[in-house]
Amino acid sequence: MTNIESKIVEIRKLTYAYPDGTMALDGIDLDIFEGENVGLVGPNGAGKSTLLLHLNGILRTDSAVSIFGLTPEGSNLPLIRSMVGIVFQDPDDQLFMPTSFDDVAFGPLSMGLGADEVRARVEKALLDVSMSDASDRIAHHMSVGEKRRVSIASVLSMNPRLLILDEPSANLDPDGRRSLIELLKGMNVTKIIAGHDLELVNELCQRVIRIDAGKIVSDTLINA
Amino acid sequence: MEHHFLDQYSDRDSLIHRLDPRVKAITFFSLVLFVILTPAASFSAFGFYGALLIILIAFSKVPPIFVVRRSLVIIPFVVIVGLFMPFIKGGRSLGNYSLGAVDFSVTYEGVMLFWNIFIKAMLSCISLTVLTSTTRFVDLLKGFETMHLPKLLIMILSFMYRYIYVFIGELMSMRIAKESRSAGGGKRFHLKAIANMVGVFFIRAYERGERVYLAMCSRGFDGTVRTLNRLKLNARDIYFSFSVIALLITIRCFAK
Repeated sequence: MTNIESKIVEIRKLTYAYPDGTMALDGIDLDIFEGENVGLVGPNGAGKSTLLLHLNGILRTDSAVSIFGLTPEGSNLPLIRSMVGIVFQDPDDQLFMPTSFDDVAFGPLSMGLGADEVRARVEKALLDVSMSDASDRIAHHMSVGEKRRVSIASVLSMNPRLLILDEPSANLDPDGRRSLIELLKGMNVTKIIAGHDLELVNELCQRVIRIDAGKIVSDTLINA
Repeated sequence: MEHHFLDQYSDRDSLIHRLDPRVKAITFFSLVLFVILTPAASFSAFGFYGALLIILIAFSKVPPIFVVRRSLVIIPFVVIVGLFMPFIKGGRSLGNYSLGAVDFSVTYEGVMLFWNIFIKAMLSCISLTVLTSTTRFVDLLKGFETMHLPKLLIMILSFMYRYIYVFIGELMSMRIAKESRSAGGGKRFHLKAIANMVGVFFIRAYERGERVYLAMCSRGFDGTVRTLNRLKLNARDIYFSFSVIALLITIRCFAK
């Protein structure tokens, strides 16, 4: 029941090699449409994270990628980064400010929004992940599950149109994982979920892309 | 794992804890300033400063023994700088001693210089300990930020505060991993292992830095870290700061 409206990611013949010459991505062709929930699976080192970093212009390869019709470079970057929210695997990388409030406010503030708007967005984002009482808390006093929720809030506050999660269930206990799945299920935004948690992908996604050695080896619709 | 060594007791609640961090910073730094600018011979002034600190500690509900113990970290520096002063500094002699072939004398000026260094270092250190144990580090940083201290400095401090616990956690788990596989082996062997750990730790910290930077860029980082000011001054803050500073001026002017 994907609600396909428009193409938001278009990748043509994306090839990327690390500075040492190792091939990370080798001729990737991929389209992602608004409203899809896409699982991205594959063994370690298959190129999942490298692919994700191309979607907000952290890594760049000439004219192979187009996001919302924009090339991720130069003056397009701030707009693309506000529309594409990446939640990284390790919450200790994602949450780099002293308190949750500052972390969740970081994105909206760098988008240049006014103080009242930022405050409202932080409140809403924390409420959406049921962490309203955590705004003054310090990251190292939180559990992995709580940190993960605040990590998600830290990109939700930017109102992204594409939410990318890298290994969202890593290091979570079964309860934390379950409540994360419920949380993500309730989110009405285009998602790309990368990782090894096939059960989670199966529960949340309608389309699964498997990549190996930098190539897409299968792209299938599931739960159709 | 919870660590608290930077701002222990700062999450308690008391009259002092509830004050605005900016007001507290200004008040306690003025206390330090007054202590430093008081002549060494005004013994009673130092007594009054001490009494003022004792009152503030009592209000803050921080265990006095904790404040004293933490302030003792300054002692080694005081000793290094000041211990030989009574013997080196020339002036009125208080007594001559001889230790075998070496003769030395203690001078009044020297003793006063040592006292000067000692009492000022101690009182300043206690004052700052009260500040840090009644103010959450994050609030203190926020206060400094709204007081327009250099942004770069605050950024460095805030990353330090955020990541020092992460790094300590990593170091601890590395140590446990090493201990778990250590069965015998000479000192040299272990030393080598520790040297390797230091190297690995350095690389991990470096890689962490890169990943954090990516996460910052992904959320639109453009070179400035922006935060919202959520601090509010109220009348109580002003009264507190005003009365403490008034007391300091009185002590400085009238105590001999």
